[in-house]
Amino acid sequence: MSNQPVSGKAPLCRLSGISHAFGPVQALDDVTIEINPNEILAIVGENGAGKSTLMSVLYGLLQPDAGSIEFEGVIKTFRSASDAISQGLGMVHQHFMLFPGLTVLENIIVGAEGTGATGLIDFQAKISEAQKLINQFGFSLDLKQPVETLSVDSRQQLEIVKLLYRNADIIILDEPTAVLTPQEIESLFSMLRRLRDDGKSIIIITHKLGEVMDLSDRVAVMRQGKKVAERQTAETDRKELSELMVDGTIEPISKTPSTKDAIVLNVRALSVAGAHNRPAVDEISLNVHAGEIVGIAGIANNGQNEFVQALVGLVETNSGNMTLNDRDMTRASVKERREAGLAYLAEDRMSVGLALDATVAENIIAGVENNQTFSKYGFLDFQAIRTHARKLVENFDVRTSGVNQKVSDLSGGNKQKIIVGRELSDSPSLVIAENPCWGVDVGAISFIHRQLLDYASRGTAILLISSDLDELFALCDRLVVFYEGRINAQFDRKDLDIFAVGAAMSGDHQFIKAGGTGQ
Amino acid sequence: MTFARFGKYGSIIALVAVAIAAVVLVPGVNENAMNFLDGAFGGRRNFNFFTTLSRATLIIGMAMSVLVSFRAGLINIGGEGQLVLGGLTAALVGVTLDAPPAVLLPAALVAAMFVGAVWALVAGWFERVAGVPLVVGSLLLNYPAVLFASYLVSHPFRDIDSGLSQSHRIAREARLPKFDGTLLDYGIFLILVVIAVVIVFERRSVFGYRLRMQGFSLPFARSSGFPVGRIYYQTLAISGAIAGIVGFIAVFGMNHRYVDGMLVLPLYSWTGLIAVLLAGMVSWLVPLTGFFFAALGTGAVGIERAADIPREAAQIIQALIILFAAGFGHRLISRGRKGDV
Amino acid sequence: MLFDAAFLDSLPRFVTPLLLAALAGAICHRAAVFNIALEGMMLIGAFSAVAGAYASGTWIGGVAMAMLFGGLAGLAFAWFSIRRGGDDIVVSIGMNFLAIGSTIFMLRLLFDTRGQFDDPGIIAVPKIPLPFLDFQTGLSSLLSNQSVLFWLGLALTFAITFLLRRHRFGLQLRAAGENPEALKTAGLSPDRIRSIAVVISGVLCGLAGAQLSISNVTLFTENMSAGRGWIAVVIVLMCSGRPLWILPTAILFGLIEALGFRIQGLGLPQQFTDALPYVVALVVLAAVLSRKKKSGQIT
Repeated sequence: MSNQPVSGKAPLCRLSGISHAFGPVQALDDVTIEINPNEILAIVGENGAGKSTLMSVLYGLLQPDAGSIEFEGVIKTFRSASDAISQGLGMVHQHFMLFPGLTVLENIIVGAEGTGATGLIDFQAKISEAQKLINQFGFSLDLKQPVETLSVDSRQQLEIVKLLYRNADIIILDEPTAVLTPQEIESLFSMLRRLRDDGKSIIIITHKLGEVMDLSDRVAVMRQGKKVAERQTAETDRKELSELMVDGTIEPISKTPSTKDAIVLNVRALSVAGAHNRPAVDEISLNVHAGEIVGIAGIANNGQNEFVQALVGLVETNSGNMTLNDRDMTRASVKERREAGLAYLAEDRMSVGLALDATVAENIIAGVENNQTFSKYGFLDFQAIRTHARKLVENFDVRTSGVNQKVSDLSGGNKQKIIVGRELSDSPSLVIAENPCWGVDVGAISFIHRQLLDYASRGTAILLISSDLDELFALCDRLVVFYEGRINAQFDRKDLDIFAVGAAMSGDHQFIKAGGTGQ
Repeated sequence: MTFARFGKYGSIIALVAVAIAAVVLVPGVNENAMNFLDGAFGGRRNFNFFTTLSRATLIIGMAMSVLVSFRAGLINIGGEGQLVLGGLTAALVGVTLDAPPAVLLPAALVAAMFVGAVWALVAGWFERVAGVPLVVGSLLLNYPAVLFASYLVSHPFRDIDSGLSQSHRIAREARLPKFDGTLLDYGIFLILVVIAVVIVFERRSVFGYRLRMQGFSLPFARSSGFPVGRIYYQTLAISGAIAGIVGFIAVFGMNHRYVDGMLVLPLYSWTGLIAVLLAGMVSWLVPLTGFFFAALGTGAVGIERAADIPREAAQIIQALIILFAAGFGHRLISRGRKGDV
Repeated sequence: MLFDAAFLDSLPRFVTPLLLAALAGAICHRAAVFNIALEGMMLIGAFSAVAGAYASGTWIGGVAMAMLFGGLAGLAFAWFSIRRGGDDIVVSIGMNFLAIGSTIFMLRLLFDTRGQFDDPGIIAVPKIPLPFLDFQTGLSSLLSNQSVLFWLGLALTFAITFLLRRHRFGLQLRAAGENPEALKTAGLSPDRIRSIAVVISGVLCGLAGAQLSISNVTLFTENMSAGRGWIAVVIVLMCSGRPLWILPTAILFGLIEALGFRIQGLGLPQQFTDALPYVVALVVLAAVLSRKKKSGQIT
């Protein structure tokens, strides 16, 4: 194992023997890692491997239970992020840490406004400083623009400018590509390389091995809170890394093509109103057949969310119609749609998918509480409810201390299993799954994927909305790309191409072979 | 030190801590403790105990009204207006309707419930249709309600001979009977029914289940297919109707007429709300905390009589209990994360 | 007739408490603290002002005391709600309750009276004469001989606007209101900034209370804030906490209150004129918010 810095100098920063526990969970266990200038270090691992926790410790957001952080040989203690920032650290979080109502400039300078005695901000000076940085690194940002109107890749640029403005030497990026199109990822990477060549240390946290091979100079692999390996990127490959990450191999999954059966979901020219008098969903037409998995790709806020809400019955539609199993559902209530066979795996598990303060059993009977099995004359039959909940918990392998446990106490994967169990147990004819694998562990991901494939093979129609292209490519029979509330392109499974999909996501038609309206 | 780890009983522990602190801090502890107990429970043949019970009846009634709405995540703090209009309506029916008690009593009760419910629904309408937060709208509606009632008993329905702003008395035979030699009236049975119905429905019925889930998370309730709009209005109507019942009891059992300020100055509505907060949404505790606050009030009067310590000490203690319960207890209201108002 | 000299003269008296309290609420609003304890903090300010002015024999003593105890009330709010994580609404209810109880309690304890304390020893906030203004235009009635606190309120409107836009603290306060998590990662403590905001709002409410008790009149009556704190909450919500909108809105509500006072003289029952501001507040708030709702600014 080679720990020598590329440049041959002493490391800029060294974390030694870092441990941290959240209650009984040992999130970090004796992790040692070095950070060098002029180097891009990738830290890889599955969800829950401890990557983010490690960076939170480095960034002063968490205090380690054991271990130390050294800068150029001197031990430092970071009590807060501001200690880390003044040491030259900067972090781009997975969920952007921006102030939407403030301008680009205001976002850049918050916390670094200068230290004048009066506290008055010298906006002229700030504008010229910030503009200089933007020009120097070739960003395209308008300092006066409110951040809420920025596109996703501009927001990421802004995050990086923020760090450069604070003279960060070590730049940490947590899953930076999750929200970007392949094209945007390319330009991000070239920017990061330029920063590296400029003398910065870059740390990128990811679970996408393709990006690791493409970008990094050195890679550290984490698993269950431990650093299990470290390699020079040139001396390893994807296969080795993936085996190190999961401790063994995982069966790759793939969809067997569906034989196109009856149409389950039929959407005709559906429109939903959006902000600023522009439709959020603009005359979308889409069919989903029995046994088919149709994927929806797209950059966030291109109408996917509103489209799903319209299908479930949570927002009003302006025009168009939809049928479910040949029954018109355009004006139907959520309850009627559910009774007609619709199931919904909501992206927002914490408030839409679950009532966190309620018990497991209470969450499981939501939507069927009025069925004769669970209630009589308007009163609940607790016996029947508990029996049903226990059965479901067992079938879907939910780890819980009992059906009367509060859902908020469960892990992310178990929370999602409760939703999956509840929604699928009633043999639905259409499943709408919105990013069903966000923030759950590897085991739960493969469980959820197998469930979806299983149901599709039994004839359930599935609409899968995901920001993870790998997931879509593995599962979908057909993929449609949303752009500005319209279907910009659609691909059959055999035509899937990462760059064509990426181009369609950013509104570019150049690469698209098979256009169409999604019929 | 944190009370949070004591879970849902954290606020009760906070209460005990504050009560002990209050006893330690007030000079002449032992003597005042006796005065307090005497004021709350003593008197000839425990007269004061029954007075406390009578006050507790109204406070617990208002607490049940608040509990229902808070349980659904609806911060209805307009109980005062709903209570006043309910009481006013009961009094007006009582003095204008010429009917035997068997007709008059139910008519007044239903009318009071109806008007209380309508006033709560108005606040709900302002939130659902116009986007005025319920907490603000329901509170603002207290003022016109209280002032309107004041106007009616000062002008058109005033008992002019009495010289005060109050309505005429309702007929003797239509009044709720009192327990012998006490100020406690049979309205307490009505409140016992309310308590039982609220608790049973909340825990056991499909409606109560949906209401609780909606209180935990509105988006969850909506995407589960609950009729959220209907539940919203039904909950407010029930909450307002219970306030109306309390107004009815105050008029038919306690004062036998509507007197300007009779339902506002004793802070029944606010004390009921605080009783719910202290119980930390544990429904069966609400009658106990309601009784506790009633005793605190009458006990403070006892101390004031004997030792000239202002009775408002009780209010200060109540306020401190709520602040500490908020700061050290668990979440006291079913509603989304902070700042989503 | 309605808008004669006496009416114009009275207007600033109605506007000032609303303006100061609404500015207090605005600072909290911009920091995303839902402070509906303005009512109670005003009441504490009103009592402290009377006590301070009476004890010190100076109006400055009264104003200082109002600011001090208003600020302490804000500090208590901040401690229970921000430091200890209590629910804003519950803490507000507790504070309002505490204010009513403790002012009556102290009224008994310090002045041995119930209902009202009224004494020549309470020194009023001085009024500033502006002799150069022309009496003919009515401007003199409106602006001359108005309380120091009225002018302070006007000045604070612009000062707070400037603070929010141009000052380090103002920027950080807005940032804390937008996304506290992000502020933390920028190395700042949103809790600290929000707490300071709440304390400032307490001080401003103290001033609003002082205007009620030692400027409009020189006495304290039980519950003398009488719902003005709630009108201030409505003003804040209507204006989304923007001081430059708050000023005209506070003037509007002051006008309604002054008008009600006027109409009362014409024989309309007092209950109706007293209820007027609340009804107008609710209706106007509904109108403003439903427009925002339609244009998708709030959900």
